[in-house]
Amino acid sequence: MNTTFSLAWRLFRHEARRGELTIILLAIVLSVAAVLSLSLFSERLQQALTDRSAEFIAADRRLNSRNAVEQNWVDEAQKYGLQTAKQISTRSMVFGENEMALADLRAVNQNYPLKGSITVAEQPFGIASDVPGAPSSGEVWIDSRLFQLLEVNLGDIIGVGDTELKVTRVLGEIPDAGFSVFNTDPIVLMSMDDIIATNVTGPGSRVNYKTYFNGDASALDDYYDWLRPQLDDEIHYWMSVEDDGSQIGRAIARAERYFLLASLLAIVLAAVSIAVAAQRYSQRHFDPVAIMKTIGASKSQIQRMYMLQISFITILGIFIGTVLGLIIQQGVVTALGDSVEVSMDVWHWRPLLIALFTGSICALMFSLYPLMQLFNVPPLRVLRRDMDSNLSSRTIQFAAAGGAIFLLMWAYSGDLMISAILFLSGIVLVLGLLAVTYGLIALGRKLGGGAMGPWQLAWARIRRRAMDNSVQLISFSITIMLLLVVLVMRNDMIAQWRAQLPEGTPNYFLSNVTEAQRPALEKHFDDNAVRHDDFFPVVRGRFVAINEERIRTEVTKEGDEQPSEGRDGLGREANLTWDLEMQMGNKILEGRWLDQWQPGMPHEVSIESEVAGRLGINLGDILTFNIGSEIVNVTVTSLREVDWQTMQPNFFFVLHPSAMENYAATYITSFYLDESRKAEITALMLPFASATLFDVDARINQLRDVVEQVSLAVEFILILVLAAGSLVLIAQVQASMDERQQELAILRTLGAKGSLIRLSVVYEFIIIGVVAGFMAAVSNEFSLWLLQSQVFQMEASIHLEYWVIAPLVGALVVGILGALGCWRLLALNTSALLRKMV
Amino acid sequence: MIETKSITKTVNTSEGALQILQPISFQVKAGESIAIVGASGSGKSTLLSLLAGLDEVSTGEIFLDQQPLHTMDEEKRARLRGDKVGFIFQSFMLVQSLTALENIMLPAEINGLDNPKQRAQEILEQVGLGHRSHHYPNQLSGGEQQRVAIARAFITQPKILFADEPTGNLDAANSDKVEALLFQLNQEKQTTLVLVTHDPQLAAKCQRQLHMQAGELTEKTVTIEALDTNSENATQREAG
Repeated sequence: MNTTFSLAWRLFRHEARRGELTIILLAIVLSVAAVLSLSLFSERLQQALTDRSAEFIAADRRLNSRNAVEQNWVDEAQKYGLQTAKQISTRSMVFGENEMALADLRAVNQNYPLKGSITVAEQPFGIASDVPGAPSSGEVWIDSRLFQLLEVNLGDIIGVGDTELKVTRVLGEIPDAGFSVFNTDPIVLMSMDDIIATNVTGPGSRVNYKTYFNGDASALDDYYDWLRPQLDDEIHYWMSVEDDGSQIGRAIARAERYFLLASLLAIVLAAVSIAVAAQRYSQRHFDPVAIMKTIGASKSQIQRMYMLQISFITILGIFIGTVLGLIIQQGVVTALGDSVEVSMDVWHWRPLLIALFTGSICALMFSLYPLMQLFNVPPLRVLRRDMDSNLSSRTIQFAAAGGAIFLLMWAYSGDLMISAILFLSGIVLVLGLLAVTYGLIALGRKLGGGAMGPWQLAWARIRRRAMDNSVQLISFSITIMLLLVVLVMRNDMIAQWRAQLPEGTPNYFLSNVTEAQRPALEKHFDDNAVRHDDFFPVVRGRFVAINEERIRTEVTKEGDEQPSEGRDGLGREANLTWDLEMQMGNKILEGRWLDQWQPGMPHEVSIESEVAGRLGINLGDILTFNIGSEIVNVTVTSLREVDWQTMQPNFFFVLHPSAMENYAATYITSFYLDESRKAEITALMLPFASATLFDVDARINQLRDVVEQVSLAVEFILILVLAAGSLVLIAQVQASMDERQQELAILRTLGAKGSLIRLSVVYEFIIIGVVAGFMAAVSNEFSLWLLQSQVFQMEASIHLEYWVIAPLVGALVVGILGALGCWRLLALNTSALLRKMV
Repeated sequence: MIETKSITKTVNTSEGALQILQPISFQVKAGESIAIVGASGSGKSTLLSLLAGLDEVSTGEIFLDQQPLHTMDEEKRARLRGDKVGFIFQSFMLVQSLTALENIMLPAEINGLDNPKQRAQEILEQVGLGHRSHHYPNQLSGGEQQRVAIARAFITQPKILFADEPTGNLDAANSDKVEALLFQLNQEKQTTLVLVTHDPQLAAKCQRQLHMQAGELTEKTVTIEALDTNSENATQREAG
């Protein structure tokens, strides 16, 4: 064993020094570095994004409750090392000297918020900035709108319930205000110490108690395990960022899936490059093995020696790969700099383990067949140089490789679906390529005839090296396909995100515009070059019955996306609108739109599908609304899907105009005002002071920030995968170039012109590149369709442009790489070339 | 030392079985040197591969130092080769990633001999390459590479040495050096030598010559002129 070890070690040392292990080492280094940097980066990024999104619930976890939370729950949380904060919220009237308004009252303690920050502005509707701490006892910070509604200024006193508090700041944002643009009452932020004195939280009032928790994920989980048995589903709701169904939550969830996908693809790329490199490594060792067998080495000695060698290579590769991965990751984090705050404080072990596991499993499983070939090289090869290994079945290779890839993907992602989709696409691709290869051979037979020009030589080589080429074709295609998947997925995803918030997305909403004000306001906007949306008529009505059966529950407020708010919501009036045209982003799921109504038919309503589901409303049901003292009955003729993510007014109930002829409406609209014109807003709205203004700029910016950060991170991941993929392609061309060496030497010796050889090699690679690119585009389409529809919950789309781009780029890149590799060989003189063959 | 009894070799081709060696029987005594000569394709190398235990006979019996090669599997034959056999090839067959010294050490290490490095160093001195011990094969000339190969063949002090065209890749001057070295070591170490060659002068230095023709063996002393003609014909055939 000692002799074998020292022999293996010596061979390893010399070969490493002489650069003979470069390709296989590079493959392992690449795989470990790519997997490590990708997964480490995505883990850190996820952490950063989770932290970022935690701001939207103002903590890592939040407990919502209808009753006051027991103090011992809070004490217990502190025992678990968790930070806590509290908020009590309710709706109540607040009073200025002459005016009053309904406000969203939020009483908080000084720890609030645990994540994110409160912003305040210098003046109503001014630009808000972060402020530390929360209002002290005796003061209130109020929303810009309340300054309008109550006709108060900073320093004035307002009445809140039974007490009076001083207005000390203009409130901009609180982190967990919710992301609702309609019917949100302006917020009054006050100290928890003053809430009892207001007397607004007494019996019969609807009060929400929120308790916030921050801490380690494990401590939070442990605490929740302790708390859960004591929670009552009717009263309590435990919320984490993952439950956040908002746009941000969804964007982050999707980005996480993308990172996972990219990392999985990096694993597959790594596996492909190791497979190619191991094949080449094995072939280069046929002679030494034959020699050693001839001079008396037993098969088991050879096995031990080469298993040890592979282990040395793997260990070295993993070591270098780990260092490189850490450097790349550090580089990316530095490059991203301020854009994404990625914390380097926490060390994540999982990515490292995954990288080590990937490197070793790939190295062993993918070298298995090449090594078995090597072990079976007959000693007779020393006399008969053409004798290769007598191992012919590739089943074991495919089974070992396929099994290893699938297990790695599954183990890593913990997601059977995404792993199965990628794996299945791979198999379809491999089968397709095998068929294409044999098709090419047949084609080559037709095209390869005639005088020996470069094309004929290229076709002849493709035909003769059918099996080798099919392996090469498969590895090129898989590489190109994976790059396409990552690229197209990123494009589609970012395009969808950006489409949600295009430049010029309305950042103000205006409601309570009267019929009389409307033309004047439109003219006013036009005169001042303010881009505005349509005016939607609104009448408030109480939803009282379904099919004449009175309802006890009430509908949540419209546009509300926070499930916590929605659960106990209801009790509000519904905003009814009417129109013959369906709004943008709406889609009929069942029934028909209102435009087919004929006079004499019952009045019609279209209802948003989710609220219909929640209230058990079906097509044909008759809904009763109470508007003022009037009763309106309408028949449900359609269920609509509403895209709440368009920053436009959206409605649960859209009625046919005929139903609302007799009611005076107010109007609601939205408009965009550039940040630079923000100071004009007070002056702009002065002539229409009675209309209510909502400033959602901060919310939009918050959302846009997150989307930008996630997009940027996705770009970086894409670049990493592209770099890894390109290196794999180079390694593949390089490996295949070695195999062509002998033929080039012979052609050269026979006096073939450099240009003939060069062109023939370039043509050969171009043919392979075109086929690989085309097959990659086809299988890319297949896997994208599966991924988008099954995993990313996006609408699957066809990408015809890549059917052209992929073969072209494939031909170009593979052709150029082939030409470069060939140039290198042809730069050697013939005798050097021949000597390299020995 | 070597005894064959009606050995044959048949290979399967796409056109059916092809017998490439007709029944061959002969003996080689210990310490004897014999040359197997014949045209290309006559079966010389096939015979050599069978005698050395690199390949299996189709029928017949073959004994190497009284060991029945024909009954052994590849593992046993490998052990026997390690114990008793040395090899020299036309294309040297050195391990490219090992130095001259390490190439020579290789058989000693594989077969578990003591002090492989010291032995290798000594024998490298004997072949006149002591100063090139740390050079890799591609840093040596053809003649030097073959001398390293000879040193490697002798390090285990084999009872039998098989040489396949040992001077086939060398120019005249190097051929002479290598031949001289081969026979000198052969004599010193009392090794049985079986060599395959086209070179009549080299063949003539052996005590016996076995002539192969179309898979059949005739033992005769051939004249130098006759060998020359064969050799030329063979060369022309190969080139054509």
